[in-house]
Amino acid sequence: MTAISMQSGGGSAPQNVFMDQFDLAARTQRVWDINHAIWFTLMGLGGGVFLVGRILNLTEGLGSLLGIPNVDVVSFVAIAVGGAILVADLGRPLQAWRAFVNVRTSWISWGAWSDLIFLVVAGLLVLPALSLGGSEPFSGLGWDPHGGDGGGLALEIVAGVAAVVVMTYAGAVLARPRAIPYWNSPAVPLQFLLSSAAMSVAVVMLIEVIAGEPVSTGQMVLLGVLTAALAVTVVVHLLTRTDAPGKAQSLERLLRGQHRFVFVWVVCAAGTAVPAVLAFAGAGAAGARDALAVICCLLLVVGGFLLRLMTLRVGIYPPVHIPSVRGPRSAGPTAGG
Amino acid sequence: MTRWGMVIDAARCVGCQACTVACKTENQSPLDAWYAPVVEWEVGEFPDATLNYLPVLCNHCEDAPCVTACPSGALTRRDDGIVMADEEVCIGSRACMTACPYGALHFFEDRGTVAVEGAPAESAESVPERYAHQRHVRGAVSKCTYCAHKIDFGLENGLEVGVHPLATPACVVTCPAECRIFGDLDDPDSNVSQYLAGHGPPEVLRPDAKTLPSTQYVGLP
Repeated sequence: MTAISMQSGGGSAPQNVFMDQFDLAARTQRVWDINHAIWFTLMGLGGGVFLVGRILNLTEGLGSLLGIPNVDVVSFVAIAVGGAILVADLGRPLQAWRAFVNVRTSWISWGAWSDLIFLVVAGLLVLPALSLGGSEPFSGLGWDPHGGDGGGLALEIVAGVAAVVVMTYAGAVLARPRAIPYWNSPAVPLQFLLSSAAMSVAVVMLIEVIAGEPVSTGQMVLLGVLTAALAVTVVVHLLTRTDAPGKAQSLERLLRGQHRFVFVWVVCAAGTAVPAVLAFAGAGAAGARDALAVICCLLLVVGGFLLRLMTLRVGIYPPVHIPSVRGPRSAGPTAGG
Repeated sequence: MTRWGMVIDAARCVGCQACTVACKTENQSPLDAWYAPVVEWEVGEFPDATLNYLPVLCNHCEDAPCVTACPSGALTRRDDGIVMADEEVCIGSRACMTACPYGALHFFEDRGTVAVEGAPAESAESVPERYAHQRHVRGAVSKCTYCAHKIDFGLENGLEVGVHPLATPACVVTCPAECRIFGDLDDPDSNVSQYLAGHGPPEVLRPDAKTLPSTQYVGLP
């Protein structure tokens, strides 16, 4: 009987003293972790809140800060903070401008451009509404900050397209390379997009509740549909290519291993299934809608963040080589000689 | 068109790690970065147990996912197929590290130095130009370059690449078992092509990643 034991740099077996990135066993990526999960979440939220606010025409009537609609303020703050966390996490933050260079192939470059375009164009869009000390210094600009005229609508569309890329690119960054099978799937960017959209609808509902405005039936249905679609995407991703090297280990860790509680109970159950049920329930229960909206918001944001964190933490590379199991090659006349 | 590549006959490797140390010495890689180690694992059970060895390094892929993922353009693939990392251009996003199936990229964190601890401090700027490949930038990613500085030196001075020690990667020069062969994969008369012709079709690591590596293997365990 023969056996292969993969060295991991420890234990009583002969050690490979070198770095674990050259371990023959499947290895977990440890390059991106909580900072990136926060960044991914805030970018998804920032782009999504702007989009939801504009599509549902909720920029007016939900309060403002310095004349800027609260919905837009939340969006800008989320993207600015997310971007700052990303820059701070770089090995060389002062060189961050170089992230814009490789637009030909790098999704991070696409993301950097979309962040910049979004902040500039959406910033321009709301500029006429800016109120400083009772005066509106930019009110003479020739467009409606709520997109009610041609100029405003054009800026809104450009910012909206950029917001979609902002919501999506983090997932695309993970999904494009084949190195990590769990990430290498269109389900990952789709999950991130749906999660971002659901979180954003819920956050906009929270803003409505805080502003004393009613949450509509349509919003609750939209939230339910988005969350249910997210649940389906997660399940499909969990059920495909389950025996692929690397992905099998990722699934093991998510469903049976160290991340089981967080993934199954917090991300899937509390962070996805429960909000979906509550959203559909809220659509038919006008009296409880505000409370349900707040609960959904909390669950979805926590669940969305943990979905991204778990996705990062189960990024597992298969072994660079899977050896054939066979007896010792030195066994023979000279062995032990 | 030249496409530099390396063939590693894994069956000949004796696990001495001379390549690992030669690479370290040649490139002065950061303390926790090993560009060309030898992975080892045990096969069998006592008393019929033995170790298998697998020398690994950057695969200098034709479809290099690190180059694709890099947002700053710090990682590039030269016309001769060598994937280079410009540490001055790198922003330290580490997207290349997540994209590489082989773990062949190394982030130089703010710990460790290129010099031995306790040795007189020497700033990167004071390293002579001919040792530019030994300069490493904190917060940037570095990697195996197939000792591109040696290849370029050889080409400039009329030395045969892959044969003359001054024009051949350090790991190849030092290997006592001659399990590494370096040369032009596109030249049917080159040493690598001839070796492959005599030792069967090459294998690659992580074929599922479809990266078309220039580091190829024969005799994989």
